[in-house]
Amino acid sequence: MSATAMPRQHRRIEWRRVALHGGALAVLLVLLYPLAWLVATSFKPADEVLASLALLPSRLATENYGTAAEGIEGVTLLQLFGNSLTISLGAVLGNVLSCSLAAYAFARLRFTMRGPLFAFMIATIMLPHHAVLIPQYIVFNQLGMVNTFWPMVLPKFLATDAFFVFLIVQFMRGLPRELDEAAKIDGCGPFRIFARVVLPLTRPALITTAIFTFIWTWNDFFTQLIYLFEPEKYTLTLALRTFVDTSSQSAYGPMFAMSVFALLPIVLFFLAFQRLLVEGMANSGLKG
Amino acid sequence: MANTSTAPATSAAPAGTGPKADTTAGTGTKGPGRPPRRERQGAAWVFLSPWVLGASVLTLLPMAVSLYLSFTDYNLFDPPSWIGLRNYVQMFTEDPRLLRSIGNTLLYVLVAVPLQLALALAVALALKSMRRGRNFYRSAFYAPSLLGASMSIALVWRAIFNDGGTVDNLMSGLGFHIGGWVNQPGWALVSVALLTVWQFGAPMVIFLAGLQQIPQDLYEAAAVDGAGRWRQFASITLPMLSPVLFFNLVLQTIQAFQVFTPAFAVSGGRGGPADSTLFYTLYLYERGFTASHMGYASAMAWMLLLAIGIVTAVLFRTSRSWVFYANEEAG
Amino acid sequence: MPASRTRASCVAAVAIALCATLSGCGGGPSAAADGKVTLRFTWWGNADRAARTEKAVTAFERAHPSIDIQTSYSTYDSYKQKLATQAAGGDVPDLIQLDYRQISQYAGSDVLLDLAGQRKHLPTDKMDPALLRTGQVGGRQYALPMGIGTQTVAYDKKAWRAAGVKDPQAGWSWQDWVRALRKVKDDRGSYPMTDPGAAEDQFEIWLRGQGKKLYTKDGQIAFSAGDLARWWSFTSALRKEGLVSPATDTTQMSGSVEDAPMGREKSLAEFNWDAPSAGYEAMYGDRLALAPTPTGEDGTFGQYYKPSMLLGIASGSEHPREAAQFIDFFLNSDKAADILGVDRGTPVNSTQRRRVLSTVTGFQKQVARLQTSLQGKLKAPPAAPPRGDNGLQSTFQRDYDQVSFEKLSPREAAENFLTEARAELRP
Repeated sequence: MSATAMPRQHRRIEWRRVALHGGALAVLLVLLYPLAWLVATSFKPADEVLASLALLPSRLATENYGTAAEGIEGVTLLQLFGNSLTISLGAVLGNVLSCSLAAYAFARLRFTMRGPLFAFMIATIMLPHHAVLIPQYIVFNQLGMVNTFWPMVLPKFLATDAFFVFLIVQFMRGLPRELDEAAKIDGCGPFRIFARVVLPLTRPALITTAIFTFIWTWNDFFTQLIYLFEPEKYTLTLALRTFVDTSSQSAYGPMFAMSVFALLPIVLFFLAFQRLLVEGMANSGLKG
Repeated sequence: MANTSTAPATSAAPAGTGPKADTTAGTGTKGPGRPPRRERQGAAWVFLSPWVLGASVLTLLPMAVSLYLSFTDYNLFDPPSWIGLRNYVQMFTEDPRLLRSIGNTLLYVLVAVPLQLALALAVALALKSMRRGRNFYRSAFYAPSLLGASMSIALVWRAIFNDGGTVDNLMSGLGFHIGGWVNQPGWALVSVALLTVWQFGAPMVIFLAGLQQIPQDLYEAAAVDGAGRWRQFASITLPMLSPVLFFNLVLQTIQAFQVFTPAFAVSGGRGGPADSTLFYTLYLYERGFTASHMGYASAMAWMLLLAIGIVTAVLFRTSRSWVFYANEEAG
Repeated sequence: MPASRTRASCVAAVAIALCATLSGCGGGPSAAADGKVTLRFTWWGNADRAARTEKAVTAFERAHPSIDIQTSYSTYDSYKQKLATQAAGGDVPDLIQLDYRQISQYAGSDVLLDLAGQRKHLPTDKMDPALLRTGQVGGRQYALPMGIGTQTVAYDKKAWRAAGVKDPQAGWSWQDWVRALRKVKDDRGSYPMTDPGAAEDQFEIWLRGQGKKLYTKDGQIAFSAGDLARWWSFTSALRKEGLVSPATDTTQMSGSVEDAPMGREKSLAEFNWDAPSAGYEAMYGDRLALAPTPTGEDGTFGQYYKPSMLLGIASGSEHPREAAQFIDFFLNSDKAADILGVDRGTPVNSTQRRRVLSTVTGFQKQVARLQTSLQGKLKAPPAAPPRGDNGLQSTFQRDYDQVSFEKLSPREAAENFLTEARAELRP
């Protein structure tokens, strides 16, 4: 590229960049409006929470946060946080480990029945989970795991989230095969190849798995509802629902405040992990 | 040695991609590469062992039970009694509401999936070409997806899309007097679909991760060859991203067919107004848990599996012509 | 290979266990260690109820040091699913709070214990026999009512009076009701009341006011499509006249006060149960008043005293005696009555009822006044709805959606409802 061409191209890029940022900010404004509404509602006094159609509260009602901060009957907010965190982090660890193992086998290794087993794995995503809820409950009940965190965590260690297995498979299949071949010639077995070559290169997929697992487990209401019995084991997601009972009086304001509380850890988790997404290939030194 | 074991992988096109692709892959491998060497088989099973355990006890077993229940009259409380195919027959002969829910679901899939994927891809591509503030934008665009379809989001949605809510006011300002969206049969489905589209963060992040994996020097080489932005997009980005695009397409389609939480949240679980957001799984849930017809609900679940299976198989079939895998190019 | 054989046998073991549980002969909960009996108690409600319940449980545990009560609660909609899953999984808690509409299902499928065997630990002599019958199925007592509630018209007193409508008294008829609505509408210009057509509860009141009822003794539908079509034609005429809410507002009702037109300050009156009407207080303050529901033209009352919720013991409970002791404490003791107040409806035990009602204040006083004004006027409550009824309330609302959005005529929708109801009921 010659030096004389630089200024003109530079100016054009500037223009495009301004348009890009302007467009992105405009779209963001629309996208973030409902979230602003959610946060604003958490500051609305009780009589405005649902009745008012205005974005801003008439006065800043911090009492919603006061109520939410007390937790639920007999259980502190801190404990609710702790329970949610234990389950979510356990799930992240389980999914990243087990799904990448299974994915490696499906993407890179040969074994009998590979096709049918893969098809079966995909098929498990297709059955609505309400249909298997009761049989699964019976299994966990027989294993003595009802009213523990295991039903939320154990399946993740057994790679039952086919979504992530398939995701990682797709990423692994995007990796050039000469890599394994080269490693094989260097005398690496499948375990070394997996740990040293394939795993580092699928980092974007693993980070993605970690992020989604954390957020989805954190927000998963139904599983936690079914399996957790004692309030001491309740999670934030369960607790915030206890504020809204259609058969008696609800406390929508504190529910919104609790939602904001519940949002904080997932925001932090996302912010911490999304940075790692940027790296990945760029730092791995892989060539196409 | 390396030759004989890799030969099937390269010749048998997308081995391991799916039901259809795999049967052909299986027959294609009946060559010198088979049977695979015992040592490698063993390694595969070690990698697979957690999955095998989970899939058999926590997945296959419950699935088998639900398949069995689909041939029974089961009310959750009393032992199931075998009624053969009656649930399946009833679905298509005596249940107009079911047919209605199928219509709603198909409409929803056709509206929500393309819109969501287009938005996710557009934003991911825009983010990729940004130098500054990428972290900020990525977080901000993901923010709507953080909450899932929680009760608070449902309430916010109902407020914004109700009579006199923000959307109504905006539309009225533009001269369109529609009224609320969530409470009118013609519009409620759109508002639910918009909730899904709004939460496009998951496919976006997956696209971003996929874009991240495209080696930068491919673009540099193309630029040297004089390829413009569109050429680079068409000849590098799109093919290199195709496995991920395919993943998103398949998974978002599967998930859209099973749409439950957004509709459950927005309509308070009933699929109203006037059944306009009564989606298949919502109806399934109601049949199973509210009306205690778990046998019937199980039959509905297996019908859905069959339908999604066919759609997915078609997608896998078409994928052969537009999805490219690096490990095949290598051969 | 040996590894996979153990795996296979493990799968087989669980499979057998699954089938055993599905066919209703699964293993029970494990016995308690250290001689202390642990009972699991599950219920639904809000934070206030949680606080009161915990306090009452603690008081019970203090009185019975050898019994430990483990409580669990969620909101009503979640509760229903959770309990159904537990029942299907053979893991029902010892003490279960139940809705009137769940009794037949749970008793009929042997999930509940016949309380006759625990009669000596569980005296019911202070409870109204008519009300006790609501916890009976096939002549056996499976659960006891935990509180009493009745239907009401919650309304904005100030607005109604401004329109020249006198506070409605027990015995006002449906025609009086329509006249009142017309006056309020003329005064306000907007619709004064929420459309009652979507709620089976209101239909039942209207039906009973004509001496009819929802279900026959043997659990069949007791009204005709013509009855229902007349009710829906009646409410549709009111809707078209602008006296009750339009379809777009009625369809948003979910059972919670906040989703209903009156809770959203769009209408000035609404049919509801007495206790949940407390939810309007946040918006209406002391403008809120409760009136009895309208009667048939000959003065026949349609509304009735209903158990707000019931409490039963799981048939699989290993400690039915202790569970019965707990119910006795919860419903009959001074201590529990003082703690629980009217949170689950006004007390069922007549002694406690007098004690508690004399102390209530604010909104609860209005509830007490409403119930007292109806004393001796109401007909006995109907027997618990038959099995299969639990999905019918939403079917009712759904079919009415078709009427109010003018997709079906009242007659067509009524025929649809009856077809589905007949298929659903499994007496």
